Amino acid sequence: MNFQSTALSARDIAEAQALLHEKGWTDGLPVVLPTEEAVAACLAEALMPPEQLLGIEPVRGRPITAEKVAINAVMAGCAPEHFPAVVTAWNAMLSPPFLLHGATSSTGGCAVLAILHGPQIRELGAGSTFSALGGRDRALNCIGRALRLGLINLLDVRPGEADRATLGHPGKLGWCLAEDEAHTGWETLAEQRGIPREASAVTVMAAMAPRQIMNEWTTAPEEILETYAAEVRANLRHYSIWPGNYLLVIPKQHRTHLEAAGWSKADVQRFVFERARIKRREWSDVGKGAVVRDRGDWEYPAFERPEDVLVLAAGGPAGGFGAVIPPWLGNKSRAVTAPVGVCIDC
Amino acid sequence: MTLRFLNPSHEAEALAFTPAPRPISLAGATVGFISNGKEGTKGFFTHLEALLREHLGVAEVHWRTKGNYSAPAEGAILDEATHWDFAITGLGD
Repeated sequence: MNFQSTALSARDIAEAQALLHEKGWTDGLPVVLPTEEAVAACLAEALMPPEQLLGIEPVRGRPITAEKVAINAVMAGCAPEHFPAVVTAWNAMLSPPFLLHGATSSTGGCAVLAILHGPQIRELGAGSTFSALGGRDRALNCIGRALRLGLINLLDVRPGEADRATLGHPGKLGWCLAEDEAHTGWETLAEQRGIPREASAVTVMAAMAPRQIMNEWTTAPEEILETYAAEVRANLRHYSIWPGNYLLVIPKQHRTHLEAAGWSKADVQRFVFERARIKRREWSDVGKGAVVRDRGDWEYPAFERPEDVLVLAAGGPAGGFGAVIPPWLGNKSRAVTAPVGVCIDC
Repeated sequence: MTLRFLNPSHEAEALAFTPAPRPISLAGATVGFISNGKEGTKGFFTHLEALLREHLGVAEVHWRTKGNYSAPAEGAILDEATHWDFAITGLGD
């Protein structure tokens, strides 16, 4: 293959790691050396020539090529079979509704969360049960990290450079989840977003840190889901009033009760859509009274429509612990789902 | 043994744009403010407008607000900005 990237050299692995760290080309952790052979293997897996353009980041006018994305995927530890998911995530991130520049540079400090759908979950060994939200396995960790390293190296999204996050959160090291499609009778999140169950896909979301909820004291769907809605309402009060794509991660224990009662994902979405809303006056309870003004009776729903509630089946088999993952900036940045192996611009 | 590997960075050498020449004076100038729309910008720009008019003789000040905190300014604002002598934007919160 003919690569456009400059070839670098080092006498040994320690010197190579030092060079990459000194240049600011890592996330601070050791990386896998992106040799021509390893990068070529990734590109071959996705049937992509090095010069293939995935897109152009619109604010900075920076071209994102398959070659550079593959180099960063190798550095993150990806095996060739992980690369199509990385490419798909980039395609989704470059879609205008995602608002890539804002999401990666805002003081708000979100992370790019990637969610895997379809057969690739099994093929890659990506886990979706125990410890579903992080620290699980190679596929999830490497795919998530590949996106972060790509942002660092292709768009200068380093803390203090393009990344202006006040706090950020641990998901910024790399954050990738998979849906537990095997242990639910529900539609998958991808199916709800127009992707057939037989196809692999990736959803990306500009995501704040997960907020864990717990309810092990009821089997009533309304009571279980009220706990999730309460967390969304809390976010409307003390973080952001804007409606947008909140992700609800619902574990097996809660799903068992919901599904036994005949509740579908659409039922869950409708219930949370109705319950997750506050009045502007509630801002006075959390120190934001200065901006209530004469609009205290105005109602602010967390969602513009029920389908904006993203419901994900994931989590270990026991425990009434779910999570609410809020959006970074409401509907200013939307979750985007893209199928693997399909060029959305072709 | 020498290890060989590929540069992971964008390797772009030039900026996508060049800064406009800096004005020598703002006396009689038309200045534009492009706010990101956040609450805190109102007090800041109000004070700044007073300073510009009082101390630097600025003739006109145009206030414009982006539709999205975190997205570039809309095309209409950028078109209008071509008629300004000076613009102030890129402020945080």
